[in-house]
Amino acid sequence: MTDSPKIITTYDVLKQHGVSRRSFIKFCSMTAAALGLDYTMVPKIVEAMETKQRIPVLWLHGLECTCCSESFIRSSHPLVQDVIFNMISLDYDETLQAAAGHQAEEIRKKIIKEYPGQYILAVEGNAPTKDGGVYCTIAGESFVDILEETAEHAYAVVAWGSCASNGCVQAAAPNPTGAQPVHELITNKPVINVPGCPPIAEVMTGVLTYILTFGKLPELDRFKRPTMFYGQRIHDKCYRRSFFDAGQFVEQWDDDGARKGWCLYKMGCRGPMTYNSCSTIKWNNGVSFPIGSGHGCLGCSEDNFWDNGSFYNRLSSVPLPGVESTPEEIGKIAAVAAGVGVGAHAVSHIISKTIKNAKEKKAESKPEEKE
Amino acid sequence: MGDVVQPINPENVKGNPHEYFRRKYVWSWPIRIFHWVNAAAIISLFFTGLYISQPQLAPAGEAYNNFVMANVRMIHFASAFIFVINFFWRMYWFWMGSKYARSGFPFFWKKSWWQDLFRQVMDYIKLEKGHIHMGHNALGGLAYTFGVIGLGWLQILTGMAMYSESNPKGIIASLTGWVIPLSGGSFQVHMWHHLFAWGFIVFSIIHIYIVIYDGQVYKNGLVTSMVSGVKFYQEGDIDRDDWLK
Amino acid sequence: MGTKRIVVDPVTRIEGHLRIEAILNDKGVINDAISSGTMWRGLEVILEGRDPRDAWAFCERICGVCTTVHALASVRCVEDALQIKIPKNAEIIRNIMFLTQFVQDHVIHFYHLHALDWVDIVSALSADPKATATLAQSVSPGKHNATPGYFYDIKNTLKKFVDSGQLGLFQNAYWGHPAYKLPAEANLMAVAHYLEALKWQKEIIKIHTIFGGKNPHPNYLVGGMACTIDLNSDNAINMERLNMVKDLIDNAFDIVENMYIPDLLAIASFYPEWTKYGEGLGNFMSYGDIPQTNIYDKSSYKIPAGIILNKNLSEVHEVDQRDTGQIQEEISHSWYEYPSGADSLHPWEGETKPKYTGPKPPYKNLDENNAYTWLKAPRWKGHAMEVGPLARMLVGYASGDDDFKEVVNAALGKLKLPATALFSTLGRTAARGLETQLCIHWLKQEYNRLIDNLKLGDTRVADTTMWEPKDWPKEAKGVGHTEAPRGALGHWIKIKDEKIDKYQIVVPSTWNASPKDAKGQPGAYEAALKGTPMADPDQPVEILRTIHSFDPCLACATH
Ligand code: HEM
Ligand code: HEM
Ligand code: NFV
Ligand code: SF4
Ligand code: SF4
Ligand code: F3S
Ligand SMILES: [Mg+2]
Repeated sequence: MTDSPKIITTYDVLKQHGVSRRSFIKFCSMTAAALGLDYTMVPKIVEAMETKQRIPVLWLHGLECTCCSESFIRSSHPLVQDVIFNMISLDYDETLQAAAGHQAEEIRKKIIKEYPGQYILAVEGNAPTKDGGVYCTIAGESFVDILEETAEHAYAVVAWGSCASNGCVQAAAPNPTGAQPVHELITNKPVINVPGCPPIAEVMTGVLTYILTFGKLPELDRFKRPTMFYGQRIHDKCYRRSFFDAGQFVEQWDDDGARKGWCLYKMGCRGPMTYNSCSTIKWNNGVSFPIGSGHGCLGCSEDNFWDNGSFYNRLSSVPLPGVESTPEEIGKIAAVAAGVGVGAHAVSHIISKTIKNAKEKKAESKPEEKE
Repeated sequence: MGDVVQPINPENVKGNPHEYFRRKYVWSWPIRIFHWVNAAAIISLFFTGLYISQPQLAPAGEAYNNFVMANVRMIHFASAFIFVINFFWRMYWFWMGSKYARSGFPFFWKKSWWQDLFRQVMDYIKLEKGHIHMGHNALGGLAYTFGVIGLGWLQILTGMAMYSESNPKGIIASLTGWVIPLSGGSFQVHMWHHLFAWGFIVFSIIHIYIVIYDGQVYKNGLVTSMVSGVKFYQEGDIDRDDWLK
Repeated sequence: MGTKRIVVDPVTRIEGHLRIEAILNDKGVINDAISSGTMWRGLEVILEGRDPRDAWAFCERICGVCTTVHALASVRCVEDALQIKIPKNAEIIRNIMFLTQFVQDHVIHFYHLHALDWVDIVSALSADPKATATLAQSVSPGKHNATPGYFYDIKNTLKKFVDSGQLGLFQNAYWGHPAYKLPAEANLMAVAHYLEALKWQKEIIKIHTIFGGKNPHPNYLVGGMACTIDLNSDNAINMERLNMVKDLIDNAFDIVENMYIPDLLAIASFYPEWTKYGEGLGNFMSYGDIPQTNIYDKSSYKIPAGIILNKNLSEVHEVDQRDTGQIQEEISHSWYEYPSGADSLHPWEGETKPKYTGPKPPYKNLDENNAYTWLKAPRWKGHAMEVGPLARMLVGYASGDDDFKEVVNAALGKLKLPATALFSTLGRTAARGLETQLCIHWLKQEYNRLIDNLKLGDTRVADTTMWEPKDWPKEAKGVGHTEAPRGALGHWIKIKDEKIDKYQIVVPSTWNASPKDAKGQPGAYEAALKGTPMADPDQPVEILRTIHSFDPCLACATH
């Protein structure tokens, strides 16, 4: 509306909303708590919110299911409207923005030009790289090109969900479109992976608010995931862990063990292999999480989780060409084969020895006869 | 001490000079200790591993009274650390021990090693007595290299990588964490670890059989040698560990 | 000739990547339109060779906006193939999850995807909060927070937001366009409810979280549900969980009855001309759903199945997903080839082999005479069909179902419109609201049915007799159908040697957004755009209105 954009800070916006300074400070301490920070960080958050203009965010959609957006809008703390209207300036997001067509594309180009190095690029979904990118185009341009163009001047790239972080369902074998996660394509910018199919809402808003309040990227692990949310496995914090340790397992859906809430390990639960916050933060404001509602974890935040064989098997087939067996089956067959092999060797040894002995006896007795 | 040759039975020597049995101290105590610690650790690791993979017989009663899986895993991990320390100890002894401590190594750059390998294979196939070794024969050595050292490394790397997952910022993770993305994820690491576990069983079956067979054919006291350290040989047998120096 | 071609790409406030090209005549009226889905992921290809029990999880990821419906269709097709009959509780819980999805999706669609086509945010800045409160109270006496203070705060929020110069999601849109007709007060009320609905939608879906562990993408299970019920356990669905479900349903009831429906009727009353545009095909199809016994018993559905041709409400045809002569997909204008050489295939015989023949990106225009989309063109006995809330309302109405007649007649009465008004853009949007009204009533009923069944001591949620693949027949085929928020959804599976041999998905948005077929029959979007006058071709609000009235989901449509 206004031609000369003045710096309106997050605090200004909150103030204009009738938020008192006291409740503003309280809000900052709650943000700190939500981010797992101690109270000494509160003044930093206050300062950040008082001095910074809302950071523009361009949110691109590639090959995806829009579930990450759906998850994002379920955020309870902070509320999603606070994030998108008060904390950031969500300037481009096809799913929610009012403008369409070339008016929408104009916004994207304008932000790239007016805020070089200052906007955050959020990517939901990933880019098909096969056949010149024809499997995803927007406004006639291939998504790969759009992604590269938009990442070029971004401050940082946030890869939402497993699609953007590791490929997810469309990259599952045989990956018909050559779908590639963001970090494979954007190598000259900091990329933060926020995997999960989708990620937990509060994890998503947590990552954004961290960047906004501290003006820097959170600590990342070797998979570029924020350690604050992906530092531990589901299994390490799972409330069914006591049953795991006890050796008490659900053997069949809806069995007695299931009623008692026993561990889902034997039903294929991927909790022991999955880094995510589901068993602590839980889903939809702490109501439950997959294991909490009786189904094993699918490992939805892990690389490649679609291609590990059936979700209901603890181990998959060995991924060797022509092999369709589990390690257990292969191992047993190999052990039996070894047993049969040595048995056969032993038997033929005994037989050949007996024959030899008999021959020797004959050879020994014959000269005697002659004499 | 390894080369000390001494008569075992002076009576025999007198009466049967042509069957002049000799004994030689081949397996020094570090090797014997390694061997049996290794065997025990592997047996423990294999059976605890199988339980971890497919836990059976749920205990009755409240979870807080039971620690079956926890204990089995603890035994697995304890055995694993013993296995690993023992393994590295043997690596060290490779250099520090006698030439027989090195005899298991595939000296593939030496012609004599290849010749011995070929000879040994032919002997086993023809079910015939061949040449005497004081250390490992080339085939046996190769089997240990692949069956124990190779598998050992694979199992240690995959095992440690899984172990490190509960503390991805720790030292073990920084040493072995790379195994996980390399294998295509933790799930695949489990799968490989499980497959390799069976490799030890296959090795053990063949190994124990060959030890007994070899002992029978060569009358070299092989079976007891891993206890006493001593192997027997007859006068006139040639020491064919000729690639060892 | 004074024709003009306009392109709307991306069509925003939808799910997925949709491109519309419209050809206007010299009077600015849309003469012809093409609808193109511009992304494809290949789920049908990816599913081949996998464990059929896993298929639901893959399929669910077709779409996160209508999350659950693909999982439901998927477990149903596997259960159909393996002849599994799920326990009653599982059927009811699936119904509850189904209805929850409808309510949430429809409300989100109305406020967050569709409203800005009718509501001018900027005009809300000049609203009088007091007058807005009066308006709000008159349209919805049951809503408790409609006070001047409340609207004053909202207006203030909006003002500061606009003053910040960072308009975020609302920038560069069509504010002030002559097609916006609402008075400032109605606009302000809608803005307030936009925010309220955003806050509320995260509540209702907690029902999914309770039964399925999370939302989006709750868990399903072949054979029933994984959420064990044990009223005496603290580790299963128990009284606390059930109470929470009940509360969430009651809360949804309030939002729908006291906010959504009143807003819908209020806004609709300002746009009567939109009962004349966007008519579309006049053919409607519903597969039906919400079984009261089990899914194989169509007569027990709360949403009836059937087909209406040529707007003829006096006859409802039967639809049979197994009849290979009824539902077929053809690809004359799609970027696929059928290696078998067929023109058109029933999904059990379906093939998915991409063959892009469009222009190399970046491109300016598509060619309507060639293939122009990643959607196939599904047809019923050769007819293009519209599916979705309007189709369901019409089939229900034409089937003489009392629930349907009641809400339809009530709404038409309030708006003083004839039944024919339903064949339009506004009719579609209204039908979605009316359906939501039915859904919250059914939600209560299904909840009560669950409790009644639990009272009988039946707590089973899963049938595991056919769980182990070794017990399966060597070959089997099945079909799973449901009604998704956007319309009739079907999954067809062939199982061979314990693996998926073939998997074909025909999605509601594939029906609605389908391209032309070999006979030149357009899909529903294309048909509905025809005849719409555009005030300013550079500001395609009219196109957005009609297209949004279908609630497009292109990730679904192309999959
Ligand atoms: C799990 C079971 C076992 C494993 C993994 C195992 C492993 C090994 C290894 C790694 C070596 C090479 C030693 C070295 O170079 O340091 C070896 C040698 C030997 N082992 Fe075992 N062993 C097992 C069981 C046994 C048993 C039960 C016996 C006795 C009956 C035995 C007798 C021997 C003998 C005699 C040698 C020397 C073989 C030679 O001269 O080539 N082993 N074993
Ligand atoms: C001879 C050596 C070993 C054998 C035969 C063995 C065997 C096994 C087996 C069969 C499993 C079950 C795998 C599955 O189904 O997921 C397992 C798990 C495991 N092993 Fe080993 N293992 C060996 C050595 C090691 C070593 C050296 C370590 C290092 C710490 C180790 C750590 C683990 C861990 C962390 C697990 C996973 C436990 C869990 O998921 O709770 N293993 N092992
Ligand atoms: N079209 C569609 Fe869906 C729905 N409703 C699927 O079946 O949205 Ni994504
Ligand atoms: S990561 Fe999963 S939830 Fe997110 S867009 Fe991809 S498929 Fe959907
Ligand atoms: S349910 Fe899954 S995550 Fe939880 S303890 Fe069992 S195996 Fe671990
Ligand atoms: S399936 Fe995904 S949602 Fe959490 S419990 Fe497992 S990571
Ligand atoms: Mg299809």
